[in-house]
Amino acid sequence: MSEGAVEIKDLVKTYVDDRGRPTFTAVKNINLHIDNGEFMVLVGPSGCGKSTTLRMIAGLEKITAGSISIGGRVVNDMEPKDRGIAMVFQNYALYPHMTIYNNMAFGLQLAKKKKDFISDTVGRTAKALGLNQMLERKPQALSGGQRQRVALGRAIVRSPIVFLFDEPLSNLDAKMRVQMRSEISRLHGQLGSTMIYVTHDQVEAMTMGDRICVMRDGLIMQVADPLTLYRQPANLFVAGFIGSPPMNLLRGKIYRKDGGLAFTENSEKNALTVPLAGPIQDLANRYVDKEVVFGVRPEHLSEEVKNGSHVTLKSTVDIAEPMGSESLVYLKAGTGNLIARIAGEHLFHMGQEVAVQLNMDKIHLFDVETEEVVH
Amino acid sequence: MTTVQTPRKEESQTGTVRKRLTPTQKIAIRKVLAHAFLIGFIILVLVPFIMVISASFRKGNFAPSELIPDKISLEHWKFVLGIPYQEVVNPATGETRIVKAATPPLLWFWNSIKVSFIASAGIIFLSGSAAYGFARLYFKFRSATLGTLLILQMFPMVLALVAFYVILDFTGQYIPWLGLNTQPGLIMIYLGGISSYIWMIKGYFETIPPSMEESARIDGATQFQTFIRILLPISAPIFAVVFILAFIGYMSEYPVASVVLQSSDNWTLAVGANSFLYEQEKLWGRFSALAVLSGVPITVIFLLCQRFIVGGLVSGGVKE
Repeated sequence: MSEGAVEIKDLVKTYVDDRGRPTFTAVKNINLHIDNGEFMVLVGPSGCGKSTTLRMIAGLEKITAGSISIGGRVVNDMEPKDRGIAMVFQNYALYPHMTIYNNMAFGLQLAKKKKDFISDTVGRTAKALGLNQMLERKPQALSGGQRQRVALGRAIVRSPIVFLFDEPLSNLDAKMRVQMRSEISRLHGQLGSTMIYVTHDQVEAMTMGDRICVMRDGLIMQVADPLTLYRQPANLFVAGFIGSPPMNLLRGKIYRKDGGLAFTENSEKNALTVPLAGPIQDLANRYVDKEVVFGVRPEHLSEEVKNGSHVTLKSTVDIAEPMGSESLVYLKAGTGNLIARIAGEHLFHMGQEVAVQLNMDKIHLFDVETEEVVH
Repeated sequence: MTTVQTPRKEESQTGTVRKRLTPTQKIAIRKVLAHAFLIGFIILVLVPFIMVISASFRKGNFAPSELIPDKISLEHWKFVLGIPYQEVVNPATGETRIVKAATPPLLWFWNSIKVSFIASAGIIFLSGSAAYGFARLYFKFRSATLGTLLILQMFPMVLALVAFYVILDFTGQYIPWLGLNTQPGLIMIYLGGISSYIWMIKGYFETIPPSMEESARIDGATQFQTFIRILLPISAPIFAVVFILAFIGYMSEYPVASVVLQSSDNWTLAVGANSFLYEQEKLWGRFSALAVLSGVPITVIFLLCQRFIVGGLVSGGVKE
């Protein structure tokens, strides 16, 4: 079935001013296919066009060029209510003068559904969300989490084929956010509807999405499942955006050294030099005497040697953040700064000399010009 | 004998005993000053009002007089309320006559309420829908139109009196009930003064997050339904304010009404009250009684609208 599949083709959004002159292009020709029942997360820094894309799917923003189809039907000129979508807003957008019941029933009332049907649907949904005790209250009397649950309920009662979420959790406190995160994930499991979720929080994206679409400046940088995104970032932006702490990225050059290859960081003196080993050498061969960006995730710097080829780096501890089960250690190797995620329950102190093992199988090289990964 | 001199003694020796005020004393002085200012201000506001009330109960028509009349007379109120009363015409012969207004002033009172109420309701409707357009819809020359409105409202309505006269004279030829000397004609002129209200309501609409309307749109509401069922109820406070302001304004409006309304049974209160002030004799007593009377509907409207002017009506719907 492709009932809830969403197809975005060559989508462009250009904003215009009062006189119809173009001011700003928020979305620059993107293509994206979202499967029926898929949980797709659009993630990126603010101003990357993710919310604009979502609002175009919802029908709240006019499409400048390209097309959006839901379930095989092009919806470009369709009213939001006819698109089979429901949307949850960042600021809840509840109707403050209506009771919770009426807030949830509003859409059904407008659709002229039977009274019994409305009260049955709203009652059932409210019960599932734990809101049945407060149906007669006004939004003002509810906590932030409850309000967002009402907004969620309002979306559910419309039984849409596609749910749209516009940063629904960013106004909640940290604890509530974690709870609502799992609640939305559970809802996705129960309903099996397509869900499109916009967030700027990469943790939310990683934990919730079946697939994640990373955007920047109105362009899609990469679309992949969370693990692929993490392990095989397609470009520098994704490498730096996904993961916390982010990937260590060092700019430098590949040299021939002692018969092998080595990466040397750009620096006047005392530059960090990493002799290359393992399969990465084949890729590096193409970049001899050329600039590259060298990337390694913090967890691939360790104290002990694991499987695969390793290179030992001498470094000193700058700052250490013990997290309990592991420590985030900010290391200085030559002039290069590296963050290492080191397992083990011992403390590091400032100025301590540490020999870290760099897992050469997990290295990424990025082209400086195109910012794409070398592969 | 040499003693250790304390700083306190030193002070008393020099003879300049400077009393230091404690913080509580300072606050007390500030409070007294503030209260004195406020009480003075209240007196400033209340004295003219009391003078008007006292003039309406005083026998005769002498404006500057003692604040509380020594002899209370109800003649002006009887006149205004349309109750006939006896008046001594010639004190020497004891000749009396029955005094009764030719046109009952209560009719003017009713006219005023009618005109003000309908005009204010019309103002709400017109300025509310216009403000919605300016706040939420994007069309060509939107900001130019808004700027024009802002400049137009700076000219007082009186400046256009001649134009109003000509317009009503013209419409009266084709639609008699909308011409000169008709209340609908006056209401039509009054409805023209909406630009400042458009600005007020537009400002309020712009504080309401658009996501609420977007949500209603996704729920399947048309633009009109969104306006009626979401935006209007949320905006009740500003509409109450606009209604009160418009009502007060029209209840006491004189220049336009005096030109448009010519026959005395069409007059509004302000025009009627002014008719007592002849060049030769100014009947301040009747004027004052009417002035007090005109305050009654304003007070009632204010009390009725007050419950809509509650803060935080929007709160809870969205999180900022």
